[in-house]
Amino acid sequence: MFLAFAISAFRTRIAYRSQVWALLFGVALEIFARVSIWTAVYGGNSVINGVSLWQMVTYSVLAVALFSDWDSIELVRDVGASIRSGDIVNQLLKPYAYPASLFARTVGSKLSQVLLIGLPLIAVIAFAFGLVPPASLGHALFFALLCLVSAAMIMAVGIVFGLLSFWVLDAHALEWFMRGFVAFLSGGFVPLWFFPPALSQIVALLPFSWIAYHPMAVYLGQVDLAGAGLTLLGGLAWLAVMVGVIGWLWSRTTGRLVVQGG
Amino acid sequence: MRETLSLMWFLVQLRVRTRLEYRAGLVVAWLAQAFGYTGVFASIWVIVARFEHIGGWTWPEVALLLGFHVLSYAIGASLTFVQLRNMEDQVRQGTFDVLLVRPINPWAYLCFSGINIEYGGHVALGLVLLAWSLPQLAIDWSWLTVLQLLLSFLSSAILTGAIITMVAATALILGRSRYLFGIYFSFWELARYPLPIFGAPLQALLLTVVPLGFMAYVPVAALLGKPVPFLGDYAGLGAILAGPLAALAAIWFWRFCLQRYQGAGG
Repeated sequence: MFLAFAISAFRTRIAYRSQVWALLFGVALEIFARVSIWTAVYGGNSVINGVSLWQMVTYSVLAVALFSDWDSIELVRDVGASIRSGDIVNQLLKPYAYPASLFARTVGSKLSQVLLIGLPLIAVIAFAFGLVPPASLGHALFFALLCLVSAAMIMAVGIVFGLLSFWVLDAHALEWFMRGFVAFLSGGFVPLWFFPPALSQIVALLPFSWIAYHPMAVYLGQVDLAGAGLTLLGGLAWLAVMVGVIGWLWSRTTGRLVVQGG
Repeated sequence: MRETLSLMWFLVQLRVRTRLEYRAGLVVAWLAQAFGYTGVFASIWVIVARFEHIGGWTWPEVALLLGFHVLSYAIGASLTFVQLRNMEDQVRQGTFDVLLVRPINPWAYLCFSGINIEYGGHVALGLVLLAWSLPQLAIDWSWLTVLQLLLSFLSSAILTGAIITMVAATALILGRSRYLFGIYFSFWELARYPLPIFGAPLQALLLTVVPLGFMAYVPVAALLGKPVPFLGDYAGLGAILAGPLAALAAIWFWRFCLQRYQGAGG
């Protein structure tokens, strides 16, 4: 059943082709902007903080193409709209766990984004300009696993914020809070090695940094293979915590839901 | 004309009163949106703090650019964006047709009756950035520079409203506009940065076909006396004229689309 949800979300996403093209254009423009920013700030320096300009270009391309938070933003919006319209009741009557259905739908739309936009863009850019390859085969394997952790983490963050809208009844505000957290703390725009050291150490421990920073740091070989293994374990531990938080929130949420109107 | 204006004022008052019924929600929305922007601005701060500049612009200069961008956008968008972003839905569901039989300009009705005061967080953030950055910058203040700042700010807000109107108007003839809003916001994000960091083709694009370069970069660069690509000494004048010219284009385009509007359903 959850597979059907994921497939349905995938098909819904690709049905609106103009939207797919607009998203593709938007992602390409965002990559271009970030590459321009890093090229400008690097100036004549080829290596800063042990990271070359071309590594930063690779970081930007992969981070924008693979680790966007768009699907989770949509998830929070959809939950908010369901609560506002009262449609949430229809969801709760069905014989499945609502948070799991949210997860399945987001998997579908995330997959469509990665397959139709992310990977083609990466392939085109890698073919036309070249990108830095993973530091080693081991790093590539850990990166692949961390990509899954990243996708699960951004969806879990989205579900937590989505469920919080049962409490505050204003999903729009929650969406903006989530965007603020993800923009700064995920390291998707600015890697943590450019943060002030004290701030970097704190942010690296928060779950948001598994959305973009940790996978990319492993890809570029900023940590050795043992460190990459620990990073993966850290991500899985945070995911377990997030699942616990979602379960707790959901058990509290169903008990206090008030549907207005109908 | 006087009756129309008083009607618009009445609609604005009505909308504001409605929104103020949920004051706590409004304040939370302000805080949330300011927080969302702060996340992005903090990332830009980290870059400028680490590298000391971005395209030759220091942090106080970039802060002024970001403040100008978010403030002028908030003013322009409060009158247009939320009201017009669902234009394709209004066309498809036929609710726009209802407006056409009312004795009032449909654009004015839509925009004024739906004025959005949720941009308080944007305005506060913009004002804080402006208030912090302006005293730190070596601007040769005179009545003329103050006038230039105010007029270019007004022009930028008008430019925002004009472009949003043009994007929404495409729904009247194509039935779709949402994807164009996506593209608009992609360019809009570029307008937060000093234009010279982008290549010459994109610079030219942002000063002509998609004139979002005039939203913050051109007016702020003119104020700071920084060289502006393609415009040179005319940057200040360009920043003041861009908004009104875009508004004229938007009026023409809205009418053009309205004349060709055939509805989209039964």
